[in-house]
Amino acid sequence: MQCPDEIIDLMHQYLDEDIKTEDEISLREHLRSCQDCQVHFHELKKAVALVQSTSSMAAPAGFTQRVTANLPKEKRKAGAER
Amino acid sequence: MEEIIKKRIKQVLKGDQNAFGEIVELYKDKVFQVCFRMLGNRHEAEDMAQEAFVRAYVNIQSFHINMKFSTWLYRIATNLCIDRIRKKKPDFYLDAEVAGTEGLNMYSQVAADTVLPEDELESLELQETIQAEILKLPEKYRSPIVLKYIEELSLKEISEILDLPVGTVKTRIHRGREALRNQLRHL
Repeated sequence: MQCPDEIIDLMHQYLDEDIKTEDEISLREHLRSCQDCQVHFHELKKAVALVQSTSSMAAPAGFTQRVTANLPKEKRKAGAER
Repeated sequence: MEEIIKKRIKQVLKGDQNAFGEIVELYKDKVFQVCFRMLGNRHEAEDMAQEAFVRAYVNIQSFHINMKFSTWLYRIATNLCIDRIRKKKPDFYLDAEVAGTEGLNMYSQVAADTVLPEDELESLELQETIQAEILKLPEKYRSPIVLKYIEELSLKEISEILDLPVGTVKTRIHRGREALRNQLRHL
């Protein structure tokens, strides 16, 4: 079965949390009657959840010291005149 | 947060390098994370994140104090990563670690002297798989997806970071999500 592309667009609008109420209602109605779109929607939400499930990461130890060691020594003296 | 940053920036403008160190402390994890998710290699990610901070320091005069500092910093970092991805040649990988082991090394560092229980190992493998799939995305979809789903930024902020209209960001996120759906559906 081939559903109109607009239904897929509505799924993305929903996932962006940027969907009009009436569009959300028609999306829900369509999903109730269309198994293919249910699967598609479920797979989209699953992909998002998996990407969101990746652990947050910390910069390696000593990161800040390495940055400050690499800063140019003589900063252009804009407004730092003596 | 933004208030503290603005105060520190004013100190940096007066030549105080220690104040810049405090800015690095506050943002290093976020910047490193963006670089790692974009590049998939811990070593390269650190290089790019370091370079991003050095550039921010050198160009601090061009930062508009009314802008959100993190937006400006993310822009520098993502541009560096995008350039790196575009310049990447296949032989770049010759002396790199075997793809997919990178994150595992990193995660195992955390619990170096404890044996990982089975479900944690599984979740490490899952993390590796997801990261590998993110890396398969073309760069133009990868950047907005990472900014949205890893850094949890708004579409408006992503559009400012990538210097693209919000509509374009949306389209790219939609396509990125479709690509990820295809890649991750069988997990």
